[in-house]
Parts: sequence; C-alpha cells; structure tokens
Amino acid sequence: MSRGDLAELTRIIRRIEAKSRQRPPAEPGRSPAHTLESLLGGEIEETERGGLLVVRRRFPVEHRHGAQSLRAARDAAPEALALLSRDGAPAEAHRLLYLDTETTGLAGGTGTYAFLVGVGFFDGDEFEVRQFFMRDLDEEAALLTALEAMFRRFDGFVTYNGVGFDLPLLETRFVLGRRRFPGEAYHVDLLGPARRLWSARLADCRLGTVEQSVLRFIRDQDLPGALIPTVYFEYLRRKRPDQLPRIFEHNRHDILSLAALTGWVADAVVRAPVPDLDPEALAGLGRLLEAADPERSLACYRMALDEGLTAPFRERVLLRLAQGEKRRARWEEARALWEAVIAAPREFDPRPWEEIAKVHEHRRRDLAAARTVVEEALALARHHRASDRVLAAFEHRLERLVRRLDRALDPRDAAQPA
Amino acid sequence: MQIRELLDELLTSLETGPLISAVRHFEARPAVFAPFPSSLDPRIVETLKARGIEQLYSHQATAFETAAKGEHLVVVTPTASGKTLCYNLPVLQALAQQPEARVLYLFPTKALAQDQLAELTELARSLPDMRMFTYDGDTPQDARRSVRARANLVLTNPDMLHSGILPHHTKWVNLFQNLRYVVIDELHAYRGVFGSHLANVLRRLKRICRHYGASPQFIMASATIANPGDLAQRLTGEPVVELTESGAPTGEKTFMVYNPPVINPELGIRAPYLGEASKLAARFLRQKVATIVFCQSRLSTEVVLSTIKKMVEDRTGDSGIVRGYRGGYLPLRRREVEQGLRSGEVLGVVATSALELGIDIGHLDLAVLAGYPGTIASMWQQAGRAGRRSGESAAVMVATSSPMDQYLAAHPDYLFGAPPEHARINPENPFILINHVKCAAFELPLGAGETFGGDVTAHLAALEEEGVLHRAGEHFHWSAETYPADHISLRTVTSDNFLVIDTTARDAKQAKRRQIIAEVDWKSAFAMIYPKAIYMVEGEPFEVQELHYREDEEKVAYVKKVVVDYFTDAITAKGVWILQRLGRQETPGLLAEQGEVLVAEKVVGFKKIKMGTLENVGSGEVELPQQEMQTTSAWLTIDPGLLGRISSRRDDLVDGLRALTHLLHSLAPIFLLCDIRDVGSWLGDGSPAQTGQVVTRETMRAQLLQGETFTPTIYLYDNQPGGIGLAERIFEVLPDLLARGLETLEACGCRSGCPSCVGPVNEVGRQAKPIARAILKFLVPRR
Repeated sequence: MSRGDLAELTRIIRRIEAKSRQRPPAEPGRSPAHTLESLLGGEIEETERGGLLVVRRRFPVEHRHGAQSLRAARDAAPEALALLSRDGAPAEAHRLLYLDTETTGLAGGTGTYAFLVGVGFFDGDEFEVRQFFMRDLDEEAALLTALEAMFRRFDGFVTYNGVGFDLPLLETRFVLGRRRFPGEAYHVDLLGPARRLWSARLADCRLGTVEQSVLRFIRDQDLPGALIPTVYFEYLRRKRPDQLPRIFEHNRHDILSLAALTGWVADAVVRAPVPDLDPEALAGLGRLLEAADPERSLACYRMALDEGLTAPFRERVLLRLAQGEKRRARWEEARALWEAVIAAPREFDPRPWEEIAKVHEHRRRDLAAARTVVEEALALARHHRASDRVLAAFEHRLERLVRRLDRALDPRDAAQPA
Repeated sequence: MQIRELLDELLTSLETGPLISAVRHFEARPAVFAPFPSSLDPRIVETLKARGIEQLYSHQATAFETAAKGEHLVVVTPTASGKTLCYNLPVLQALAQQPEARVLYLFPTKALAQDQLAELTELARSLPDMRMFTYDGDTPQDARRSVRARANLVLTNPDMLHSGILPHHTKWVNLFQNLRYVVIDELHAYRGVFGSHLANVLRRLKRICRHYGASPQFIMASATIANPGDLAQRLTGEPVVELTESGAPTGEKTFMVYNPPVINPELGIRAPYLGEASKLAARFLRQKVATIVFCQSRLSTEVVLSTIKKMVEDRTGDSGIVRGYRGGYLPLRRREVEQGLRSGEVLGVVATSALELGIDIGHLDLAVLAGYPGTIASMWQQAGRAGRRSGESAAVMVATSSPMDQYLAAHPDYLFGAPPEHARINPENPFILINHVKCAAFELPLGAGETFGGDVTAHLAALEEEGVLHRAGEHFHWSAETYPADHISLRTVTSDNFLVIDTTARDAKQAKRRQIIAEVDWKSAFAMIYPKAIYMVEGEPFEVQELHYREDEEKVAYVKKVVVDYFTDAITAKGVWILQRLGRQETPGLLAEQGEVLVAEKVVGFKKIKMGTLENVGSGEVELPQQEMQTTSAWLTIDPGLLGRISSRRDDLVDGLRALTHLLHSLAPIFLLCDIRDVGSWLGDGSPAQTGQVVTRETMRAQLLQGETFTPTIYLYDNQPGGIGLAERIFEVLPDLLARGLETLEACGCRSGCPSCVGPVNEVGRQAKPIARAILKFLVPRR
C-alpha cells in the first residue's frame, strides 16, 4: 500500500488505538460564557516568546492552611532546613521557591508537557502563589521564558518528590526549549523527610495523605491527580475550560501544603523532643537529627519509647539507640537494649543476637554465656528458616566458641555438658 | 588427514560419490594491500603495527578515504575480510582528533555490540580519552546516567535507540549535538519488517540531530546481497557510496551439493536430510576437521547435535568436542562455546543462523549446511564461516526434499551463478509509518508542513482526529498520557502476542501459578492454539484448554500437559479480494496484476493426525473470529481459452492450478531475501461474489467447479499487514519465477507429483503435475 487516503488511515489508526483508549464522541464545542482570564482569575502576560496566562493569589503569612500557619516556613532557621536537604543550609529560607507542576502524564520522556507550573514564595508579610499556564501547547516557549525569569530571582526550590519527577521533567522542557535549567540550585525535597517521619504511621506518604493527617487540611472536592491530564486534553480539544479551575485549585493547594509542611517540619526539628508529637514522628525526628545533633536525636528516641511506641518501630528505635551506646563503648547499656529487642515477639533478626554474643565474648570475657546466646540464636534461626549465610555465620561463631572453651577449661570439666 | 583427501574420498567413494550433485572449486585469491593513509593518526598506526598489521587491505584504505571525504558509505565484503576496520578506523580517527565528537554504533543484537566493544577497546588502547560503552537492555539503571554523561562512543541496537534513547533525547544532548558518525553493521539483517522499522527510526534520529544542529555521516557494512547500496539509501534516506571490492585474501575453497539418496522412487521420498548431514559432519569430525553445521530451526539443531554426539562419542570417548549454539541458549553458554571454538577446544558446532551474524568464532575448515538456508545471501554467509585466509576449506550443502532445495540441487549453475537476493523494505507500510509518526511527534512536535520520509499530512490529520496529536499553531504535539515507543516492537508490524500458560501444576496443587511456556504472535495464534489444539514445546504435547482473544481481555491460552499419540492440524477457510489495482502486465495467455488485497482467514476446525503413520484419526470444530488483513499482492489470471485447450475437465484444471500455486509459492523466496512464511498464496476466483465470505480449500474447489464463469486466479501475497515490498518484487520477477517453475517440474524425476515439486501425489491429484507443466510451457517463452 502506498500512502493511503485519509479515511483508510483513520480506520487503521482507530484499530491501533482502540486497545488502549476509550473516548466519548466529540461534543460540539460550547463557547465559554466568559474568558479564560476571568474564569481563572488571571491575566495574560506577554514575554519575548509570546503570551501566557498567569494567575496570582496572595495570602497573609498568618494564613492557616489546615492547622498550620505559613509563617513558620518563612521564618524557618537555615540550620533546620539543613537537616532536610542534601545541599546543606540555604542562605535564607524565604528565598526559596515552592514548586509543583501539573503535567500531561507520568510517562516521562520528551512527549510529556508541564502545562501548569505553580510556584509559591514569600514577599514580606505575604505568601504569593503564582501559576503559569499554557493555553495551548504552543505557549511552552512563553511559559519557559516566564519561568526562567522567575527562577533567577530565587536561590532554590522546595518540592515534594521533585528529585524524582518535577525537576527532571522541567529540565527536559528547558533543554527542548534550548534554555538553561538551574539544575544545580539549592533543593529541599520534602518527600524524603516525610517518609522518615510518617511512613510508620500513614498508609502512604503522598502529599494529600500527609497534609490531611499532619496539617489537618481537608480538601473540598479535590480533583484527583490522575484525572488532570484528561481534563487538560479535553480542554485543548474542545476548548471547554469549565473544569480547569479545579486543576488550578489542586495545584494551589499542593503549594500551600508544601509551604505549611516545610514550616511544620522546620519547627519540629528545632523544638524536638516535645511530647505533643506522636511517638512515630518523634522516632522519625530522631533519625533526621542523628548526624547533626546526636544528643537530641537520642532524646527523641527515648521520648518516643516513653510515649508508647509500638512494634516493629519500637525495636527499630531500640536498635538505633543500642548502636549509639555501642559507639560510645557503653557496653552494658547497649546489651540491655539489644536484650529488649530479642525479648520482643517479632521476626527473627540476627543482628542483636550477634551483638550480645560479641559483648559476652569480647567485653565480659564470658565464653559460656556467649555460647548459650549463640546456641539459642542458632535454634531460633533454624526455626525461622533463616538464610544459609546467617546460619553459617552463627555456626562458625559457635564452633570458635566451643574451641576456645575446650582450650580454656580443665579436661575433666570439658567432658561435662555445658 | 588433509581436508583435500577427505573431500576426494567423499567424491570417489561408491556410497557417497553419486550423491554429490555439484562441485565447484574456488581458487585462492591473494591479498591486495594498501599503505596506511597518510592522514591516519600515528597512534592508531602504532597500535595496528603492535598487533602485527603492517599495511591495510585495499578496501579498508578506500573506506577510510571515502569517509574522510564526508560521504556516506556501505562496505560489502565477505566474512573474515577485516570489515570492522573499515568503520573503526574513520571512527577512531575522528575521536582522536576531535575530543568533543560522538559516535553511535548500531548492531542487530546485544551480543554483537559486546563483541565489538572488546575489539574497539583493544584497538583504542593507545588513544587518550576513549569512553566507549554499550547501552542496551542489559545496562544497569544506575550505570545509564554515567554512560549518557561520559560516553563518546555508544554501542547499542535499533530497539534501544527507538524506545530508550530517542524519546529521551534531552538527556543525550551531548551525543546528538556532536554526532559525527553513525555506524550500522550487519546491514543485510535490516530487511522486511525490521528494516522497514529501522528506516523510520533513522528518520527520527536524523530529525533529532537536525534539531541539535548535527548531521552525522553513516558508515555501514553488509554481507553480500544484491542491492546493498540501494538498501543503505532506503534505510538512511541519503546518497550512499557502495564499496564492494575486497582486498582480503581468501584460501582455496570447495563447495559441494549433496542430495540424499532416493529411498522410495514411486513416492519420490529421499533419505532424511538431517541424518545425512549428521553423518557427513561426523565423518569429518572424526578426522579432526573443525566443522560447523547450520540447521534451519532450533529443533533440528538439537536433533543433529545429539545424532553427531552419538556418532563421535564411540571413537573419542567424549562428545564434548561438539557443541550446540542457537537462540534460546543463555548468553553465558554461548560465550563459552564461542571461546571454545576460538581456542580450538571445541572442534565442532551445530548452530542456527544465530551464528551467521558476525560473532567471532575464529576459523573453521568445513561448513555443512543442513538444507538450503532459504536465500543465496545466507548460503554464502554460512559457507563463509568455513574459510581461512590461507589454506583450504570446504562447504557441503545437504538438500532437503522441498521444491526449492531440489531445484537448486538440479541446477547448480543457478545456485553458484545467481546473484544474491534483494533485501526489500517498505518504510511506507502504513502500520509501521503511522507508529513512527507518533514516536516522532512525541520526541519533537511535528511541523504542519514537515515531511517524514515523504508527505505525512494525511497521517497527521488522522492522528489528530484520533486525539493522540493536537495541533497548536503550526505544530502537531503529542497529546496523550502514553509513551508510544513502549507499545511498538521493531520486530513485528503489530505487537499483540498470546501467552501460553501451563495449568498442569495448578490443577495438582490448586496454586495460582502462571507458568508461561511460550509466546505466539497474533497472526499465528488462531492456527496454532485454538481450543483442543495440541501445542508442542520441546517435543512435549500440551492440549489447549481455553483461548482468550477478546479485545478487552488479556490474550492468553491455557494449556495442560497431555499424553496423546496425535497432533492437530488446523482447517482454515480463507478468502482474498482485490481492493485496488496498481500494476498490470499482459502476456500471451496471462494477465498479471499487482495491488492491494484484503486477506481474510478463519480457523473452522482441525484434523487429528497420528504421529508416525500420519493417518487421519479424527477431527473437531472450532468457533473463532475471522482475521482480516490488508496487504499487497501479485495475482495471475490465466486466459480461460488457454485453459480450455489444455483440458476440458475443470476438476483437472483446478488440480493443476493448485499445484502451480504451491510451486510458485515455494519458489518465490528465490528472488526475495525472505522466509517462505513471509509470503502467502491462495487459488481463488477472479470475480468473487461475496467479499468477506471465507471458504475452505475444498469449498473453493467446488465453487470453481460449479461457477458460471471459470476465472481462477492465483494470489501470491505479502504476509505482513500493509506489506513490506515482497509482492511488488514478485510482480517484477514473475517471468523468471514462471521459468524457474517450469525448470523445476522438468528436472523432477517423479511422474505425477512429489514433495519436491507440486506436492505429494495423493494430495494434489494424478493430473496436477502434467497440467501445471502444460500451463507453464505455454506461459514461458522458449529460449
């Protein structure tokens, strides 16, 4: 077949496409009752590469997003943010840009557009959310121009999963548009700290879940993220913008949550340990502080235990505490913690057994006690069908202990059972 | 013993001598050398000298100079002629002199890329700052970023370029901005569907390069085919210089055709060729002659391997000197065999065409081809696996009983004299093209007037109507959530596959296990895995319990292990209808046409056939949907007047025409670089009443017998949806195809049909052969 006529091709393509998609038949486009600008409350801004729609909203720093005000984010101590970023401390917290994108899909690659990019920033006593929107896909050059100018005014970004999604996607768009993306700028990705703090307690660590439980912010009729590409494509094809405000609102809430959550976390790491936090979050703060402030980290762990942290998180904290004691060579304290771990009914974990045996053998010089521990561990390991590697390690240790005991003991005693 | 003596013994022995139907002797040819080009970087010269290379073969020097002039080129030289230096020299030169230059190598398989990386690393040892990496499905995720950032030479395959590199071109800015050369080795592998896809992938590659301001030069290498330059131009869309003169020396070589003895003259049955090939190979292996045996399928590889192992075992006490090599073996095992062959530890190897591609296995003395590999090009490739730059080597082709093999055994002049086949591609296949238009739009919005190979305005409009593209201003943008390359395989036209799942274990343990034992492509599924069909995997029979094929469900066949003594053969109803006539040629007695057709097929039942005796022991009915495909076809309508003069009996004429259809179909691949299954055939009616109404062969026969008019038409169609250029070629070579058909019938010793010409007599009818012959005699002009 040579290049066929349109009808034939349409038929062919329809069959190819039929598998993956189902679309309702096109309705005749209704002309919008009002302009896009008035519907979305924004205005058209011109750049050297054409116009785009920009929507601005300003909030006083006292604005409460759920139970949290925005002020804490503006006033966050750089040292507090240093605990949340791989890049260390920012110069000033209020020179960061809170960023979230809405895209035409999650597939990645060069065919996924960021059609709405929302940024939030502090301006004196106000927090502004500014949203840049492509009214059609050919406004990308204008969008990138506007963003580039915006990015230049700030020191870095705060995102939620920006490392994995928003920033690489924007970088792709910038490269396509032949522009330089500030990829090396300072960056706080809150997803990491959020996982440390809440994965123990929450079903997942999506922003929507965290904001509800931590910030007590409830979205009213939120547009689910998964529907956003569909809504945008519908708008493009039928020029029907009626659902667009819901995307803008969704994006705005994401940015407000991002700022509020930054404030919450920055505040918590400064105040910790405080008993008004739940034990899981205290344990998470202990993790965040471990390297920077070991004393406060230990205090957080202890308070988490006092506040009734439950399994299996309790054992994880006990292990970390024991690790801390070991580092200080406080062997008896460490041993007590490891013994607390093995006393708890849970999955078999070889590490505390091994550590206790080592304390008996090397520190207390009590070979018999070490042997008893290893024998018990080995029995448990076999019962729990531990890996060959684990079994071999215990067997090896036991063999060595038996050899050393034989050598150390009087032959008459050696004949007797231990 | 010298190979010369062994060959003489084969020729003169009373047992084997008469079975050698042809011998050709090829004289040794001395090397033609050329000095190192003066511009060649001294460090490269140094390395070559360190490896004992004091001067180049003439074709290597010519390739270097052609590349230096900035021209695209394709080098066509035989196996073991040092063709890799033809592209490695210009590439290393560029990298040595321009640190920012980037180069992309494409190989059809991952293994070849690995091989070539090892060779390049050796060659580039004394050059500074060479950062060469493979980038394919085996590259670990965490290593990919560093390859993208660091590599100045990337070795990959078309599939990875298509789905992993082009759609992420922004991550490869450095590569695309500075892309100096694109090297494509094993060019002949890119034919048919794969080649049609590659041509489109290269259109996309060039488009991305243009976006970043680069225009790379293509350096290609191909085994001998009829149209390397033409194929290279079609693939790259650029004018290409063809270099075919090899300066490499070749040793003396003998090529023989061995035709297994006839053991049943009445039915025209010959001794099984696999057994004969095994015997021949064992005979030479016992005398310590390094031997490679090429088989046509994975199954026959295993059969021949075990037969040879048994034969050589009793003499050497160990059969480890003979190994197998085929697709499906794990890479580690393959590497082990390759290494063993190079070191000489392995003396013999039984392989599929997987070893035909440029894997380095050192030099062997004898190649045994168990059956004609389907193409002249492949035959020379396989024969070329035995051969040293000095000293003697040989190749023996053992003929099967197919019409093609028997024709070649009887016409050695044709075999040795025929030009190799044309590699055909059709980048404009609508299914293939439309998929790559989607990928291209995903990569960069397509301009409203932009061409993609040719004009694609209609394609863009259609894709917009379907909603996967969106026009904004002067550009069409990708506007779907999907990643189109993920759904497009370069190895098929359409990508739906059926999974075959073994439920035997599930019944026993009630465990929800998905034991996938095979994959069957959409096209063959209905003829192979219909309910109650026996599906064989490695010799074990499974019965199909259920087949799920509806649009909204996962495509699977559930099968269960059974103990049966029969296999099943599908009864298919078919129909072919002409949609559009594009070419026409009238000669006395014959109207030949070419164009687009609709082919419909439907499996309506099956026969149970007893293993061993091949008796029909039962049958069953099947309820399956009809499959339709639009494709290209050539078709022949023979003048009813002529038919009337040949016989007055319509039934005999139909038998003769059926026989003719079978014959032309089996001989067509002589002219095409393709497999026999890539072409379909059907004897239908030129003026059918109901389009879309499929019939079985028997019903078709009845219809032809009873029809008011008698206009039987022979269709030879391209078996890929949309066509990949085979039908057009058949139409072009039709006079030659008919002549080959007549020669085959005349050379065949059987009286009324055998598997080697028109098919077994008990299937085709007593009059089939004489009538087919009479028709051909009239249609083929006397020489």
